[in-house]
Amino acid sequence: MPAPYSGLRVVDTTGLAGAYASRLIAGLGAEVIRLEPPEGSPLRRLAPFSSDIEPPENSLWWSYLAMGTQSVVLEPGDKKSLGKMLAEVDVIFEDNLPEDSLIPDEVVNASTIRTRILPFGLTGPKRGWQSSNLIAWAASGILYTTGFTNRAPVAPAAPVQLAYHASAASALVGTLLALRSRRLTGIAQDVEISMQEVVLAIAPETGVPMSLDDRVHRERSGNRRDLGRPFGLYPCKDGFVSIIVLMPRHWTAMAQWVAETTGNETIIEEVFEDLAVRVETQELIDGWVEELTTQGTRIELFEEGQRRGIPITPVNTVDALVDDPHLKAADYWTSTHLQDGTEVTVPGAPFRSSSPWWSMTPAPRLGEHTELHLA
Amino acid sequence: MTQNEGDLPLAGIRVFELGIAIASPFCGRLMAHFGADVIKVESRTSPDVVRILGSAWLRDREDLAPITSDTSPYVSEMNASKRSIGLELKTKRGKEVALQLLAECDVFLANFGARALTDLGLTYDDVLAVNPNVVYVQLPGFGSDQDMPYYPFVAWGPNQAPLVGMDDFTGHADDPPAGIATVAPPDYMSALHAAIATLSGLEQRDTTGQGVHIDVSQFETTLALLGPFVMDYDLTGAVHTRMGNRSMWGAPQGVYPCNGHERWIAISATTEADWAALRTMLGSAVDSDFDTASVRLANQDRLDEQLAVWTSGFEVENLAARLQSNGIAAHVVSTNEDLLHDTHVTSRDWYQVAASKRLGRDVFSGCAVKLSETPGSWTHAGPSMGEHTREVLSEVVGLSDAEIDVLISENGAFEQLEPDVVVSRPWDDWIHLLLPGTQDARDL
Repeated sequence: MPAPYSGLRVVDTTGLAGAYASRLIAGLGAEVIRLEPPEGSPLRRLAPFSSDIEPPENSLWWSYLAMGTQSVVLEPGDKKSLGKMLAEVDVIFEDNLPEDSLIPDEVVNASTIRTRILPFGLTGPKRGWQSSNLIAWAASGILYTTGFTNRAPVAPAAPVQLAYHASAASALVGTLLALRSRRLTGIAQDVEISMQEVVLAIAPETGVPMSLDDRVHRERSGNRRDLGRPFGLYPCKDGFVSIIVLMPRHWTAMAQWVAETTGNETIIEEVFEDLAVRVETQELIDGWVEELTTQGTRIELFEEGQRRGIPITPVNTVDALVDDPHLKAADYWTSTHLQDGTEVTVPGAPFRSSSPWWSMTPAPRLGEHTELHLA
Repeated sequence: MTQNEGDLPLAGIRVFELGIAIASPFCGRLMAHFGADVIKVESRTSPDVVRILGSAWLRDREDLAPITSDTSPYVSEMNASKRSIGLELKTKRGKEVALQLLAECDVFLANFGARALTDLGLTYDDVLAVNPNVVYVQLPGFGSDQDMPYYPFVAWGPNQAPLVGMDDFTGHADDPPAGIATVAPPDYMSALHAAIATLSGLEQRDTTGQGVHIDVSQFETTLALLGPFVMDYDLTGAVHTRMGNRSMWGAPQGVYPCNGHERWIAISATTEADWAALRTMLGSAVDSDFDTASVRLANQDRLDEQLAVWTSGFEVENLAARLQSNGIAAHVVSTNEDLLHDTHVTSRDWYQVAASKRLGRDVFSGCAVKLSETPGSWTHAGPSMGEHTREVLSEVVGLSDAEIDVLISENGAFEQLEPDVVVSRPWDDWIHLLLPGTQDARDL
């Protein structure tokens, strides 16, 4: 069974904004060509770097997100080569407004789908505004609600750049819809993504429909919430675990666990079965729960708590994830090669299909495929 | 824009959705917006959590308790444009009818746990028996392989983000990890991947005639976003962690206080061009040695302190506009109240209003995926629980009214409760004033 998008040609001129979409559609079979300026894509300048490799081949962001793609270098103003590259292209990913695009309309075929990933979209008073991962979270209401009350708000998992990846994934959804539509009707159309809207879409908790309904001002609440107890992060020997106890059966199991481990007989008293009582006496409950959690490691607490049917998870760090027994057993991790030949661990396919769709090659060297396409 | 419903990219595609909360419903809603007939299969004995949440302003109205399930804003946020059918899959007749319905569907979409689907007898093989080319997409927390260690584990929405490393990456460097309290990135990232997987599956089915089984393990899917950090750990042993709002790529980047209580501005000025523009605005408000990029990156505490003194003198909206007019990425750190008055968002008609059987009409967020020729449509707001039971059983499954009556009397299916009760949300009369672009109720 061929991969679903084999035979499709995609050109990507974006940096971080479209990179995750390019990676995914390349993994699903498309030929993806990254058009780079002579100095290389901005993605190549993002740390962390491999210290054994010279720029512009040393960025690990490039080495991961450009996997499966090809690199063609275009000199600025070389219209002829640009025209050649775009002659048979099905999809173009861009991250700038039409007036700032390097690709003039006249070199784009009527059958090409143009997907634009923009800070604030094609229209509206902020159409020309700049963005970033941080700015997109700020504009969604989520940044304001994340962090501790006595500290400045923080973006969720800021180093991970979720706002860009969610935008790229949304752009790919739109592109695949447009491809389907082109197959059915013969008409190619454009796709528009506003990063602000992508984050608003995944942030209904701070959105207008919700606040119109309850008129509650959303505030930061640290790493625990008053929806229940225990509810949030609790310290342990090697970091933190996350415990969410809302259901009565989860509390019964939790209280039993604390009692068995710490000898605390009070916690199993009937009065604490009432969620409202536990929220009211949260300092007491949290102290008792911490007496348990501080005795174990993340993985010990995770496995024992889950065995008891409690929704508990480790607050994982990258090293713990690489060593995670489930991911190892599931053969999740795979590897790629850097430009100096070093083999390095990378995440595997983002989902599994009964037809063998997913395939990947290492990220290309700057201009590795220029000759192939332009000679 | 004239758009023919039949021209929508997913017109003619029917989806059987067993969704709870966010991950699968968010995917199904995207598909419904672009023309798919998404049938949300619901149970009264184990209802979707959005049916339990209810609505804040109804909390003291015991007389309206029977309709609570239709009133949470999440019903429309996650399920607009879908049809709702009440079908009890744990009953013999309900299950039989579900399989009849599945025979008429193109896509099976579910985020029930893998074990729950097995218990219901709705695994890929079960569905394949009645629908040989089905596109079967499931989103279990830890995958559907029974032999894997975490297969039986439970992880609720707020448990997932810490599990996949997101909480450890959240917070200031010298603080404990902050929880990602109000957004669930694994749910939404899984939903977007599920949409990509479903469209890929439909592509394969249409071109080869073959269906496919897709397993979106939320654990694995979200980890696919951590690539560069995994690689650096493998190469050097470095364990990257939280660093507040700062960037690895340049400084300054952060959240700074402005004039007023809890007014904050976010600024990203990580490139040389950004700094040159910022310096013209700052004048001598920050030290002159910051004109060297490496000095900025190495002395962010001092830089941020001086910037915070500077930003404190401004009104936040004014400063954001001034920074942006100088080409610097900046934005108010919007509160949920600020969003109500964000004229950029409303100018793009982000908030949508559509008819609701229970509420008259309801407001919900739009779709972030915009297509130029087939922008999609919202046929209705979130459905009431069981609103379309009779319609779907008659139209799609081909049951007669008498057969449906029997099915309901045997508790294999149920219909919308109190269908005549319509209760408007408190804002209903003035929503058009708050959200330009939404219609005055009198025009509907």
